[in-house]
Amino acid sequence: MATVIINGKTSSVKDGTLILDAARDAGVEIPTFCYQADLMGVGSCRMCLVEIEGQKKLQPSCITPVMDGMSIQTETPQILKARQGVLEFFLSNHALDCPVCDKGGECELQDMVYKHGPVEGRYAESKHRFHEKDYILSPVIVKNSNRCVQCLRCVRVCDEVVGRNVLASLGRGHEQEETSFLRSRLDCDHCGNCIEVCPVGCFMRLPYRYKSRPWDLKGTDTICPYCATGCRMVVEERDGEALRARAQIGVGINSETLCARGRFGFDFINDPRRLTTPLVKKFGKLEPATWSEALDFISEKLSGIEGERIGGLASPVLTNEELYSFQKLMRSTLGSPNIDSSTRWDPVVVENYIAASAMTSGGLSVFDAAEADTLFVAGTQLSDENPIVDYIARRISAERGTRIIVASVRDMKLDSSAGLSIRHLPGGLGALMKAAALSLYESKKDKLQGFAGVERFEGLSADVLLGEAGVSSDELAAITKRFETSATVALTAGTDLLRQSCGILALGLLSDVLKALGKEVLILPILDRANQRGAWEMGVLPGLAPGYRTASKRGLGTKEMIEAAAAGGIDAMYVIGEDPVGENPSGVSAFDALSKLSFILVQDTFLTDTAAMADCVLPGAFPAEKDGTFTNQEGRVQAMRRLKAPPGDARAYLAIIASVSGVLSSTTGVCTKTNSMQVFNEIRKEAPAYAGVSLEFNNRKNKLNKLDNREALAGASEGGFTPVAMTSCAPAAEQRGEGEFYLITGNTLFHSGRLSHSSPTLTGLQKGAALELSEADASALGLSSGEEARVQGNDYEVTLPVRLRKGMRDGVVYIPEFFPGVSVERFFTTGVSLPVVKVKKS
Amino acid sequence: MNCSCGVGKRIKDFVKSALFLDFIKGMHVTLGYLFSKSITIRYPDEEKWIPYQRFRGRHTLNMTSEGKELCVACELCSKACPTDCITVIPMEDDTGIGITDRVAKVWKVDLVRCLFCGYCEDACPTRAVRLSREYELSTTDISRTKFEKRELLLPESVPEQVHGGGIAKAKFVRSKDGIKIVANLGKMKKMRW
Ligand code: SF4
Ligand code: SF4
Ligand code: SF4
Ligand code: SF4
Ligand code: SF4
Ligand code: FES
Repeated sequence: MATVIINGKTSSVKDGTLILDAARDAGVEIPTFCYQADLMGVGSCRMCLVEIEGQKKLQPSCITPVMDGMSIQTETPQILKARQGVLEFFLSNHALDCPVCDKGGECELQDMVYKHGPVEGRYAESKHRFHEKDYILSPVIVKNSNRCVQCLRCVRVCDEVVGRNVLASLGRGHEQEETSFLRSRLDCDHCGNCIEVCPVGCFMRLPYRYKSRPWDLKGTDTICPYCATGCRMVVEERDGEALRARAQIGVGINSETLCARGRFGFDFINDPRRLTTPLVKKFGKLEPATWSEALDFISEKLSGIEGERIGGLASPVLTNEELYSFQKLMRSTLGSPNIDSSTRWDPVVVENYIAASAMTSGGLSVFDAAEADTLFVAGTQLSDENPIVDYIARRISAERGTRIIVASVRDMKLDSSAGLSIRHLPGGLGALMKAAALSLYESKKDKLQGFAGVERFEGLSADVLLGEAGVSSDELAAITKRFETSATVALTAGTDLLRQSCGILALGLLSDVLKALGKEVLILPILDRANQRGAWEMGVLPGLAPGYRTASKRGLGTKEMIEAAAAGGIDAMYVIGEDPVGENPSGVSAFDALSKLSFILVQDTFLTDTAAMADCVLPGAFPAEKDGTFTNQEGRVQAMRRLKAPPGDARAYLAIIASVSGVLSSTTGVCTKTNSMQVFNEIRKEAPAYAGVSLEFNNRKNKLNKLDNREALAGASEGGFTPVAMTSCAPAAEQRGEGEFYLITGNTLFHSGRLSHSSPTLTGLQKGAALELSEADASALGLSSGEEARVQGNDYEVTLPVRLRKGMRDGVVYIPEFFPGVSVERFFTTGVSLPVVKVKKS
Repeated sequence: MNCSCGVGKRIKDFVKSALFLDFIKGMHVTLGYLFSKSITIRYPDEEKWIPYQRFRGRHTLNMTSEGKELCVACELCSKACPTDCITVIPMEDDTGIGITDRVAKVWKVDLVRCLFCGYCEDACPTRAVRLSREYELSTTDISRTKFEKRELLLPESVPEQVHGGGIAKAKFVRSKDGIKIVANLGKMKKMRW
């Protein structure tokens, strides 16, 4: 601890604290430009000069650490004059075209000059102009260097946080310009974090260009709907049109950062094709109807159908309240146990995943995971799928020296921060984790006497496992060495584990061995749908009731419902926000199966393939058009607020569920609450893990310099449940022959799920799917980047442009999920988690 | 009481009334106006008032001498307006209609709310918006109280060079839209007020 005197007031701070932080802690404001919390200090702007007793010259407070007994002045006449000088200097070469600049009204330079600046400048020479017209750096960035204050925040955020490192300073002196190499178009993550951190109008959003002024915008706090990281952001609208989404420094785990999807993907909300009125099928055609007509129609149709013969499917991008009400409607009002929240995951696999990743024992902060001695990133293409977790891991590993191990099939951006990157075979993650567990066990056998579950090692041989994983014994030794020398180990449980269920059992084994060795093991689920964890915790799974309790009666999962529909086992489906027909999850054609049903009720925002064949379609609302909570992958429960009303007659799903429940139930409706807070209070009772959750959001960085609001983490679920045992995990793969490849899938950096394809900006960043394969494979096939290749599976084939990928395993091709026109799911026939496809030049 | 003053006043009053002095004074004013030139403006059919340049009437949007719009859609006028009656929506335009690539997609003012304070003029960094000398704003059609960029960009009826503060003869202009009475600025005479 050091004692410092700031403007005469004594306070004590930790050793090594920057003067700036110490002053801000003591409530003394010091103006800054180049300082940005979480970025490395450069001290380039000299805005933050302070006077230290005994030192003649003023010192930059943002890079000077305190010393015991230091006496600091922040407001002396000399400092005020210095600030004026700095600002006058900035303005001497600044374009000063505020009326045209998009930053006008929220510009740090404007504010600073207004507050501290000189009234007049003395510099009369002509200014240096970098260029006459603004230039486009990327499909989302437009640049004007004439306004730059050389703070280097853009360069630092791109390097230290995003890890792309595509920006740098060109030139020196007054010709110094922060831009891309020779101002060329960027081929980067298009995350826009450089825009967010730029204090002036140098980096600007292209989609928002010349649309508005900050004071015209009305914003609300909401949560990104694109992945389960749960980034907080503010969506802002003008005259009913959502214009931009931005992050706020110090708010949410993401602070000022977002990824391309979060920052630019919100424009789907303005899509003119959205549903605005209920539709009812009359004479085989969907016709607009009023709400009361639609509800009467539903009650007439559904009341004739036995509860057990109804299937329910809700999207994991609904709020907790909506999902809770939906399962209550299905289970209590309709009396149907058939309910699921994914078209992709098998409920049995999900239950085992929940158990293996210790979700029942409550939330785990991503910061704790990133600060473990070793972070083992496996089962996820983290840098593309959950970019903010990648940022957090990069930032913290640089700061605290966390050791990151990346185990994946394809290369990823996080490799550059990882001490060890392993490229295993597709489907080989389970074998890799088992091999690691086995080798840890064998080397410490004496210590592990009495390890429960030794029988799980029976019949395992390191060589076979390494062969399955496609990993060398040196690499394995490197992994186990890192595990052995760490006191805390964080393991990520990515969605690949849900695809290749063998990994789930291996994850359990590895974590048990590590625990037996006395290490603290943290398992961080990494999911790709915003409220997937919430959906499970709300009991939208055939076998689970809210709060991870075993459901009184086990129902059918999505795949079984579709099979049942085909076989006449169910008569009706109630689908919210999902599109089983468009996504086609199983061997049975979902379209043929659903055509056999006598009644399909769909609630959605767009007329999806499923909605098009429904008997009744009810128009719903997106986040920012409704209140509610999401539970992110960590188990953090966060609230979002409504910004504007949904278009036309559309309503929030919660209100729709309440009205449907109202017309169906003879007793006064069981789930007719339309206020999300009321429903949340009910959830607190039903799922005790949520009882203590605080939805209050602390909008300031906390003392530990972490954006970690621990009161928002869900608690442990009491009782627990026992997952249905996975008798065998899905067969690893068919044997691969000559000219054949293993096919893997997942989300991309710019798209996840169907929603992102309705966003014009994201579609502009990446329009179609591409086939990714390694350079060696491509040259063997005579393919080069951009050429078309034909991919053939058992009963589906598709032609795609080729993209080469340097760090990909040979013998593997990757096609992203959910791209329009490419039903990659159709390669995955039932029971095959790793299909083999033929690839030919077309 | 001072009786001598009272007596003096009574004599004075008597002389005044005997000579009809007050009457003559009054008649002098009446007759003076009767035979002087009329100050009634025969508005609008014969004469029109041309206000001074400082007059604040309906808004206009100005252009450069090359015909480029001066407005850069910065929205400062709309922000400065105390009654919130100006709406500006910017857009990007590379065709060169404005002095920068930022121009107004929408620029409209609702004159029913406007109090002609001139703050918008003061806020404008490019002197694009000016309150002109257009004062004939009464209408029976409420939609005619809102003016859009297209109309506001039309040249002012009284050019900047005309100093104003006078009366001009009215002139009938026939067009296919009907008859309009405009001021004949060539024949403008100063007013004495
Ligand atoms: S958009 Fe993101 S990746 Fe691209 S330059 Fe900016 S910070 Fe770097
Ligand atoms: S472009 Fe912006 S963030 Fe980058 S150095 Fe210039 S002012 Fe700073
Ligand atoms: S997609 Fe995920 S990482 Fe990106 S902004 Fe949204 S929540 Fe954050
Ligand atoms: S004159 Fe005053 S009230 Fe009228 S538009 Fe201008 S600022 Fe607004
Ligand atoms: S009229 Fe002037 S103040 Fe108003 S938007 Fe145009 S340039 Fe800005
Ligand atoms: S903020 Fe300290 S030098 Fe820039």
